[in-house]
This record gives sequence, structure tokens and C-alpha cells, in this order.
Amino acid sequence: MNDEAKPAPEKSQPAPDWRTAVEHRAAEVGVDLPTPTIDELAQHLEDLYTAALAEGVPPEAAHARATAALAESSFATLRRHAARDPRRAHARLTALHAATSRRRSFTLLNALRLAVRQLRQHPRFALVTMLVLGLGTGAATTVFTIVDSVVLRPLPYKAPDRLVNLWDTNSEKGVAHDPISPVNFMDYRALPVFADAAAWWRPAINLVDPGLDPVRVNTVETSANLFTVLGVRPQLGTGFPPSPTLHVADEKLAVISDRLWRTRYGADPKVLGRKLSLSGESFTVVGVMPPKLHYPDDVDVWERLEWDLAQHSRHAHFMEGVARLAPGATIAQAQAACDALASRLADQFADSNRAWGVRLVPILDELLGYYRPALVVLFGAVGLLLVMGVLNVASLLLTRTLSRQREIGVRVAVGATPRQLVTQLFAESIVLSVGGALAGLLVAAALLPLVVAFSPVTIPRLEEASLDWRALGVAVAVMAASTLLFGLVPALLLLRRQVTAELKSGDRGSTRVARRVYSLLVSSEVAVACTLLVGSALLVRTVRAMTATPTGVAAEEVLTAPVQVARGESTDRESFLASWRVVADTHNRVLDEVRRRPGVIAAGASNFLPLQVGWRDPFVVEGEPVRANPDEGPQAQLHSASDGWFEAMGARLVQGRFFTTADDRDQPGVVVVNETFARRYLAARPVLSQKLRMFVSGIGPLGRNLKDTRRSRDEPHQGDLFAVVGVVADVRNAPLGQPVEPAIYFPARQFPFAEMNVAVRAVSPGIALTALRAAVHEVAPNVPIGDAKTWGERFRAETGEPRLLMSTLIFFGFLASLLAAIGVYGIFSWSVALRTRELAIRLTLGAQPVSVGRLVVGQTAALVAVGLLIGLVLVRIADATLSRVLYQVSPHDLESAGAASLVLLAAALVACLAPARRAMRLDPVIGLRAE
Amino acid sequence: MDTAKKGSTDLLLLALLDEGDLHGYDVGRRIEQRSRGTLSFTLASLYDTLYRLEERRLIRGRWVEKPGQRRRRYYQITAQGRKVLASEREEWGRLIAALMLVAGVEPA
Repeated sequence: MNDEAKPAPEKSQPAPDWRTAVEHRAAEVGVDLPTPTIDELAQHLEDLYTAALAEGVPPEAAHARATAALAESSFATLRRHAARDPRRAHARLTALHAATSRRRSFTLLNALRLAVRQLRQHPRFALVTMLVLGLGTGAATTVFTIVDSVVLRPLPYKAPDRLVNLWDTNSEKGVAHDPISPVNFMDYRALPVFADAAAWWRPAINLVDPGLDPVRVNTVETSANLFTVLGVRPQLGTGFPPSPTLHVADEKLAVISDRLWRTRYGADPKVLGRKLSLSGESFTVVGVMPPKLHYPDDVDVWERLEWDLAQHSRHAHFMEGVARLAPGATIAQAQAACDALASRLADQFADSNRAWGVRLVPILDELLGYYRPALVVLFGAVGLLLVMGVLNVASLLLTRTLSRQREIGVRVAVGATPRQLVTQLFAESIVLSVGGALAGLLVAAALLPLVVAFSPVTIPRLEEASLDWRALGVAVAVMAASTLLFGLVPALLLLRRQVTAELKSGDRGSTRVARRVYSLLVSSEVAVACTLLVGSALLVRTVRAMTATPTGVAAEEVLTAPVQVARGESTDRESFLASWRVVADTHNRVLDEVRRRPGVIAAGASNFLPLQVGWRDPFVVEGEPVRANPDEGPQAQLHSASDGWFEAMGARLVQGRFFTTADDRDQPGVVVVNETFARRYLAARPVLSQKLRMFVSGIGPLGRNLKDTRRSRDEPHQGDLFAVVGVVADVRNAPLGQPVEPAIYFPARQFPFAEMNVAVRAVSPGIALTALRAAVHEVAPNVPIGDAKTWGERFRAETGEPRLLMSTLIFFGFLASLLAAIGVYGIFSWSVALRTRELAIRLTLGAQPVSVGRLVVGQTAALVAVGLLIGLVLVRIADATLSRVLYQVSPHDLESAGAASLVLLAAALVACLAPARRAMRLDPVIGLRAE
Repeated sequence: MDTAKKGSTDLLLLALLDEGDLHGYDVGRRIEQRSRGTLSFTLASLYDTLYRLEERRLIRGRWVEKPGQRRRRYYQITAQGRKVLASEREEWGRLIAALMLVAGVEPA
């Protein structure tokens, strides 16, 4: 007890034990104070207490005063002193104590706890950082998952990268992706660069079983070796037995898909050996393929080829083929061998093979078609987004670390070792990364099903996409690595500088460098966002151009559905022609029946829908010489259309008339031509009095020209005459982006096809469908109706691919702009804060607040402008890829670039508004004192 | 006044100790008295500052036991402390002069 203290009061109150009080308080706040510090503080309190008593304060009040001094103290800072310096006398006394305390207080766990507390104190920083991390990783994971499951994951065939599709090319016709002729296929197949090759064609097939509804199934009639070439086996049954030839004539065999097996036959193993009636012919099931196998695209039934490919024609291009490269052969070698063979064939069979060649396409490229460039664009977009996320996190962390310059200085001054400091910053980065990863997981988990569900088109293999943990791992790793890097590096740089200098904080050297780095980051962000926005603007224009392409029909609400009438067996020419007459009559009766239903306005049928390419065949305008080989003359597309077709589809009549029921097979042959045909071949003459000489007798088993006058196939063909009775305004008969071709329309009654697309214009599509169903059921109960859709739906599906790409790019573009805006906001808040003193001096010296605001905004504008310029350069670089997905828009489109720039400028302006206002409202006095 | 206090703490403590060795309680009391109550420290911040200055070797603490008294820790300014004190005094003098000139701040 202090001797100088006044004698204890009479009320026998025990003298306060200040040591215990300090210890209690320390325990209360969880600080281990070394004994000497406790002594020193206890002494202080005692001095305080005795001084109060000396002033005449009653003991209770004096005690309260000292206790209050104790209570208002936060001991947290003291611990660090106590634990640090072994040279300190009292610390030396408690070296052991301090050592334990140090070990305990700087484990990673403690650092993590501290980090969470730190971030809770700065919730806005923590939330924005985690959001940026989450959006970046989430979006990147989603897109990577999609690209991986659609493009990168191996196809379910043996060594799929050794498989190539064969397509015919014709340099004269500008054809690069045509079906191959069967005879040529057999020649190519014999090349030593191929281990084997299979070929198929696609008859449209109605599947009829007793007791089940008839359905249309996607079918190929394929060479027996298809599954061997692919290297796949049926899950049930043996498949097609090995045979020395590609075809077997005597026995009709079929393999079915897992999907058909489950949906139609209830996964019954007894399906093997079952007889299927496929378009009237009976096939035996010999295998069920494994799930998800539908090669070449969406096939449910594979029929074994029944006829000899080598005995067909070199003129007819209707087969598709797949070949497996021989061991050691590269695709380039194989292509070279094919080219050499093509030129030999062109010499040898000039009339059929001139200018024809073969192109080999890896099957994955074939499968993806449009999607490959689109996915590359998307992948690029998301890569840029990830880069932006990293940049943003980098800038956020840089700002934060630099704003903690003083804090770090103090920490170092009060004895934090570099190791402790790094542990601390490391812990903060870990907490941020974990939060970001969780957010990313949520974003990806929410986004992926959305993309799969709302994809306006079926992307091959998309439905197989499920959240890819490796992708998430990679994205999180990238983000976490950048978080750590940008969290630690600036801190370490700060550490290297001497602490006292930072404490005085008059020094600007480090911040000037940082500001330059930061400006660079923001400009790059703007550049990335600009690239993405220009991309999406271009896609918007592409989709608009596609949708605006005239199709020549006005049929938004018109229902269209394929209906295929089976043709019975025929043994001779008479029964063959009779079977075609039955086909034509059945279609006519269906249409008549449809027209009779209430609510139906018009109905018709054609073998091709708009945008589909018709059969190409030669013709001669009457009065012009017939060549020895008509194939060398001009060609036009051949279509068959019923009476009512043009009316139902809303096509426009230019001259003459459309077909009527009177244009029947026993009447003179007539045709309608399109405007392009009339302009190109009938210009300078009265169109309606012209006659065309046609050489076509039929299109294989698909359609038959009933006006063909030849008695037999072998008779030389002089051609049959058809009178032009009408000119229709061009109905688009080529894919979007290609010019409309000359076309000749036959009346379906004179040139029937087994499969026709029936179009029904009614008061509503639902009524149209009901009418069509009822009519088909009434006329031909065994005939199924194919996929029924309005023409509007079909047309939108045509633009579905670019629309999907467009919406994705817009999504990413705006995400990127948001990130860029956050970046701009970040740098300007920071720079205004750093320059508070400078701006205050300017204001003090008489600068107008507006001019200070202008200064700040001007600097944003400069940064954004630099970013925009870089972005436009990036777009230039991506030219080649972009132009593959664009339609009627140049990648250098000014409007798109302008729109993107405007959006970004606006975003940047909004982002720097708050900091600019802060700068303008700065109070010079406070500003000068700040720091 | 808080901002001023923060930046000037070191200056205040060094200036006091320059006049003579003091223990912690005395340091706190004298600052409070001389600033007429405007400046005061909590227990922790006072000792925090003292320990910090000690770690920067601007002051030195030592335990002194006087007969009949508990041992106390007295703080003494070091040579380096005097140097820093001089430069801080100069810097603050300049700032105050500037404030007077520019903002019309008068010494209280």
C-alpha cells in the first residue's frame, strides 16, 4: 500500500486491490498482460485513486473514478507491446508468457478470426469484392461447363478424333457441304488412308406397330459397318452381323436407340427379334444402342443397307459418310489422297465428276457447326470477364491496401513482424476468396440450369452439361490466386519502405505509382467491357437483319407439319405408278378433309418449307436446243406444291395463277416459277406462254413425276413439256445469308411426294392442329403427324443460334460494364480521397467547385476514352471469329461501336458522380487538415 | 480536437519528458493539467503511446524502487527522442503558422 495515502477511512472499507482489478479487466477483454504491465497499470490506478481522495472526494467516488478509467481502456493495443520486445524489462521477466501468447495469437485461425472482424468493419468493401469474385467465377464456371460438355468432352465413340465426315464439294457450283454420291463413296473408301468408312442416307420413316400409335422416327439406312467404324456396340443384342459387303439384300434388320426402346417398348428385353413395320416394310430388331447414342444426329432407327452402293450413280449426291483414319494417317494426308483421287475421277468420269471433290470434316466440327465459332466467341467473352474480375479484385485490394498504408505503418511500428503482417493479409485474402467462391458456386448453380432451360435452340450435347467441379475449381483458383497476389504484393511493397516515413504520410511517391497502375487497370476494364458490348451490339444487329430477311411468305400463325404417306410394295411399272397415284390421292383427301373443318381458312402442302433448298435439276426453255447431256445446262430448284399451298402460306402472285384442283395428272403438265427464275431465264419473253422441258422422272423413292412419258428407265429422255402458268414472288429457298435461287414448282397432283409439309391457315394454330389431326385420322389412320409448329416458330428457330449468342453476350457485356463501372468508381473515390489536400488547396486558392469537379470528371473521361480505343482495337483483332457469326453486319459497324461507347461512357459518368460530388463539396479547412 | 491530438501525441509526450523523467501517471496528469482538460488519455492509449515511443527508442523506461514506496516505472527521453522532438516542433510550428495565415486560426 502506498504510504503517502491517507489512512483508510473509518468505515473499515478494505483498500481496493488494483492489481486484481486490472487482471479482471484484462481477462474480460481477453488480453494476456505481462505482469510488469499489470503492475504499472495498477500503480497508475492507485495514484489516480489516492489523488482523488487527496482532493477530498469520498472513497466510493474516488474508487468509481479509477474504475471508470480502467473501464474505458481497450487493452488490445497493449498486448502487442507487451508481447513484442524481449529487450523490454518487463517483457524479459515474462519471456515465457509472451512466447506462449505470441504463438497463440498468431496462428492462422486467430488471423482468420481477426480478418473476419476486419471485413465486418468494412462491409461495403467486403461485399463488393465477394460479389465481383462471385460473378467472375460463377460466370466463368458456367460457360466453361457448357463449352466443356459441348465441345471438349470426348464424343462417345472409340477414338473420336480419328473420325471424319465426308462431304462433296463442287468448285463450279460453289458447293462445300453436299451429300456424297454412293459410287464415289466406294472409291474413296478404298483409299489406304482410311481404315474403314460407312455411309448412310435418310429415308423419312413412319414406324407402325400393332397396338401402338404410329410415329415418325428419324431413320438412316446405313452400311452394315457403321457401328464398327464408330467403335460402339449395342447394349442389347449383337447389332448387324459382320458381312463382307456393306449391304445385305435378303434380310431386313434394324437397330433401335435406347430412347425408342424405353419410350415405346418399355425397356422390354424381348424387343430383340421383334418385327417393326417401317414405312410398310417389316424389319427385325437385332440390337438396342446404349443411351444417348443417336449417330449421326438424332436417329432412333438404323436400318441395314439393302442395296449395293457401287451399283448406284455417280450423279446422285444423297449419301452421308463417316470414315476412320488409318493408323498413322493424318487428316491432311487423307485430304490430299482424296483430292488426288477426285481429280483422277474427274478425268475418268468427266460428265459426272467434273469439279466434284471431297472434303473431310472432323466429326466434332460437323456436330457443332455454328456453335463452334459461337462457343469460341463465348469462351473469349467469359475469359475477358474473368480477366476483368481479376482486375477489379486487384484494384479493390490495391485501394484497400494503400488506404491501410498508415494502419500497416502503425502495426509495424508497434511491433508486428513481417511474418505476422503477411499472415494477417493472407488471412484476409483467404476470407475474401472463400466468400467469393461460395458466391461463385451459387451463381453457377443458378445460371447453368437457366441456360439449359431457356436456350432457344437445341445445342447438341447441352443437356449433358452438369456443374463442372473442375471448372469451378479452376475459376476459384484463378480468383483466389489473384486475390492473394494483389492482397499481399502491395502490402509487402509497403513493408519494405521504412515505417516512419509512412507515419508522416507526407510522402506521395508510392501512391503516384499506384495511381498509374490503377489507371491502367481501369482502362483495361473499360477495354474489355467495350469489346463485349460491341460484340453484343453486332449480334443484336445480326439477329435484327436475320429476322428482317424477307421470306416471301406471310405465315406467322400458319401451322406446318410433315405428313408422310407410305407407298405399298410394287412389282412392276404399272403397280409402281399406281402406288404413286395412291400417295397423291391420299394427300389430296387429307387436304380436302382439313379444309372442310370449321375455322380452317386455307390448307396446302409442299415437299419443302421456306428456307429449305429444293432438288436441283436441269431444264430447257422450249425453243432452245437440248444438249446431249442436259446436266450441263442451267439448273433450277424443283419443288412440289399442292393447290392451296401458296394461298395458305401467304405467298404473293406476280402473274398468271397458282395451282388448282384442275391441274391433275391427266391434264397437261403445268408449273409455277419464282420471280428469280422468270427474271433470269424468261426475261424478254411473255412468261405465261412459255413451256419448260424437264428431264426429271422422280426423286428416288421420295417423289415421282407422273407426267414422265418414258415407258422405261432405259429409254433416252427427250424431256416432258410443262407450261408456265404463274409467277410467284420469291419464296426464300436458301438459308439466311444466301441468295434466293431460281425455282420451278410442280403441282403435287402431277409430281407427288410421299412426304409433304402440310400448311393449315386457321383462326388459330390450335384449331389448325385439331383439324389436321382429325383429317389424317379419318383419311389414313396409320399415318402419324410429324413435328407440328407454326411457321413463325420455325423461322424463329432459324435465328435461335445467333439469338442465344446475342443474349449471352448482352448478359456478359452488361456484367462487364458493371465491373468496369465499379472499377471507375473505385479509382475515383480513392484518388479524390488521396488528393483531398490538393483539391482543398485548389479550392482555398479560389478554384470554383465546378472546375474541381470538371477536373475529376475529365480524368475519368480520359481513362474511359483510352479504354474504349483499346477495346475497339480488340474488336478488330477478333474480326475473323466475329464475322463467322455475323449476318449482313460488318464487324466494323460504326453504330454498334457507337452504342457500346455510349453505354460505357454513361456507366463511367454515373460511377464517378459520387466521388466528383464529394470533391466539389470539399470543405477547404477540413480538407487541409485531413490525412 | 481529436485529429490534432492524434498527430500531436508524440510531440506532447516527448516535450513533457524533455523537462524531466516522469512515471506514467504523472505524464497523464500533467498533460491534462497543462491543456486545461482539453487533452486527456485513456489508460490504454497513454501506455500504448509510451510503449510505442519506447520501442522507437525515443524514450527509455526503467523501474525505480524508492524506500517505502511501490516500484514505479520512470520514463526518460533519449538523444534520438530529442532529435525527433526538435523536428516535430519545427514542423508543427510551420503548420500552425500556415493555418494562421491561410485560415485565420489563432493560438488559443
